[in-house]
Amino acid sequence: MTTAMPSLSQVMRFKATRVRTVLFVLKARAMVVLVALLVLFSYLAPSFFSANNLSILAKHIAISAILAIGMTFVVLTGGIDLSVGSVAGLTGMVAGYFLTQGIVIVGAQHDPPVLICIALSIAIGMFVGLVNGLLVSKAGVAPFIATLGTLYIARGAALLISNGKTFPNLAGHAARGNTGFQALGQTFVAGLPLPVWTMLLLFGIGVTISRKTPFGRHVYAVGGNERAARLAGIPVPAVKIFTYLGSSVCAAIVGLIIASQLEAAHPATGESFELNAIAAVVLGGTSLMGGRGSVSGSLIGACVIGVLADGLVMLGVSEFWQMVIKGTVIVLAVAIDQMQSRVQARFLPLLLQRGERGGAA
Amino acid sequence: MVRVRCRFWILLFTILSLTGCHREDTSKRLMVILVPSQDNPFFKAEADAASGRALSMSYRVRVDAHNDDAFRQDNLIDAAIASNASAIILDNAGADSSIAAVRRATKAGIACFLIDREINATGIAKAQIIADNHQGSAIVAQYFVDAIGPSGGDYVELLGRESDTNAQVRTGGFHSVIDGQRNLVRVAAQSANWSQSEAFQKTETMLQAHQNLRGIISGNDTMALGALAAVKSAGRAGIIITGFDGSPDAVAAIRLGELRATSLQPAVQIAQLAVDEADQFLKTGSTGEPERQIIPCVLVTRGNADDFRDFEKVR
Repeated sequence: MTTAMPSLSQVMRFKATRVRTVLFVLKARAMVVLVALLVLFSYLAPSFFSANNLSILAKHIAISAILAIGMTFVVLTGGIDLSVGSVAGLTGMVAGYFLTQGIVIVGAQHDPPVLICIALSIAIGMFVGLVNGLLVSKAGVAPFIATLGTLYIARGAALLISNGKTFPNLAGHAARGNTGFQALGQTFVAGLPLPVWTMLLLFGIGVTISRKTPFGRHVYAVGGNERAARLAGIPVPAVKIFTYLGSSVCAAIVGLIIASQLEAAHPATGESFELNAIAAVVLGGTSLMGGRGSVSGSLIGACVIGVLADGLVMLGVSEFWQMVIKGTVIVLAVAIDQMQSRVQARFLPLLLQRGERGGAA
Repeated sequence: MVRVRCRFWILLFTILSLTGCHREDTSKRLMVILVPSQDNPFFKAEADAASGRALSMSYRVRVDAHNDDAFRQDNLIDAAIASNASAIILDNAGADSSIAAVRRATKAGIACFLIDREINATGIAKAQIIADNHQGSAIVAQYFVDAIGPSGGDYVELLGRESDTNAQVRTGGFHSVIDGQRNLVRVAAQSANWSQSEAFQKTETMLQAHQNLRGIISGNDTMALGALAAVKSAGRAGIIITGFDGSPDAVAAIRLGELRATSLQPAVQIAQLAVDEADQFLKTGSTGEPERQIIPCVLVTRGNADDFRDFEKVR
């Protein structure tokens, strides 16, 4: 019909360009909000845009970003991992236990060096991830319920390790050969805190896996249509187990970083971290239904949450308002996400048509 | 399409309008006050007292809550460092897990003044001003023993969060007095995590299990009020309940004769003292006081309940 009426076609083409612009803004919403927040806070709080504060800000963002990177893969398969906060708490406590109490093997006291402590803690974290994965893929428990269960189990285990007490003084003793744990969270490499480099490394790995590897494509396929993926020969259970393992490893790293920063392991560490991570993932445009989203989106989402949290604190906005504002941003982001899908669906014929013409010309 | 764009900008303007009140005024020195929460009357009174005093000395003031989360406290202290604060008044999130943060702030040239709770390290903070929890729990336990009388009987204890040092110090103070009384028998001890609703449920259960209960001694006022509500709803009379903290609600219940006693922690006095010493330190380089300062608690009973308001002795 449009080919028969060129004038109308031109109108449509103009319309298509506008739709495209709007869609672009909608897709880049997290980035737009991030830039707007940075400008706003830099104006309102003069010390906000200082090198010192930006380095601190990056260190804070690293925590939710690392969790969000692992969480993205779980969410992409259509799952959710509520246990990450508890896993962070548990791994911190495990590291604290080994660093302060050592291990007793056949009646003899051993003080494992820091790297062994770290490896053991991550292994414990991975065990929780494995349980999550098996519960979801083999036992058929809904991800929300399975990880809610492990949330409680891991938190309880963290409290049991020390009977609710804090492991102090994780700096270690030279005489016992286990010093250096605080390096993980407190050293600076090339002007940036080590946790930020850890985050960037994990981000690189996450992006590569999601874009370049068969496993990454499988994750999207499982989330997009699980039945179709299974019929296409994708090992769905294995894919899911690996996403939960990845999420737990990220959570374990976060737990270790925090214990290292505080030089103490407290069993309540990481409470409600899972909510921050999920919020970052959702802000970054990943659909909780699975199949749509990206790791880089989650990083931007984590930046938005981190900048918002720190900026509001520096402005002295009351804690209660901080919660209201954070909630508003999350809800609006998801509302816009839905709007984007609707706009895209409604104008899809228009967009496709222009693509064809452009291709022909 | 216009509608779409409108909605998008609403997102930005919501943030702008909510936060964009005024620019920071950096000509005055900044004092950051960090307390565990702002929805608990004790910490609210503490924060209000400190910020009121600091404002009257023409400091800039920022109040934040760490919700007993050492990691959040760490982030808030980072924010204080980034804002070039002069002093931090801190009611900390854990005796061990706060040490690194306080040390970092001190290294960054911020004078730290700890109130209400100590850290397990000396020589980092400029002052650690705390209420004498041991003495306070001993005086309230003595009142509890006297109120039950020489006949004695069964009692239960509601403990605070087990990981909290104050919970341990208080139960130690209670038992330093009660354990000498041979005819007082502790038939149960439960942690209610400082929480009113948890204390309510646990007391209901304990009331069912122990029909001859004579007293409930509680590690703080919120739990004592939870226990009181459970005793009332069970229709039991003559059970002596005591608390700790001196919260306005508890003092009101003491006026009515429902709670028997509490130990008032001089939170307002401590907070103001910390600000005074911070001011002194910033002006002269010394507080003129030892680092560790212990302020005694005061027993509140029906006889003197009218003398207290919001954690402060007003008469």
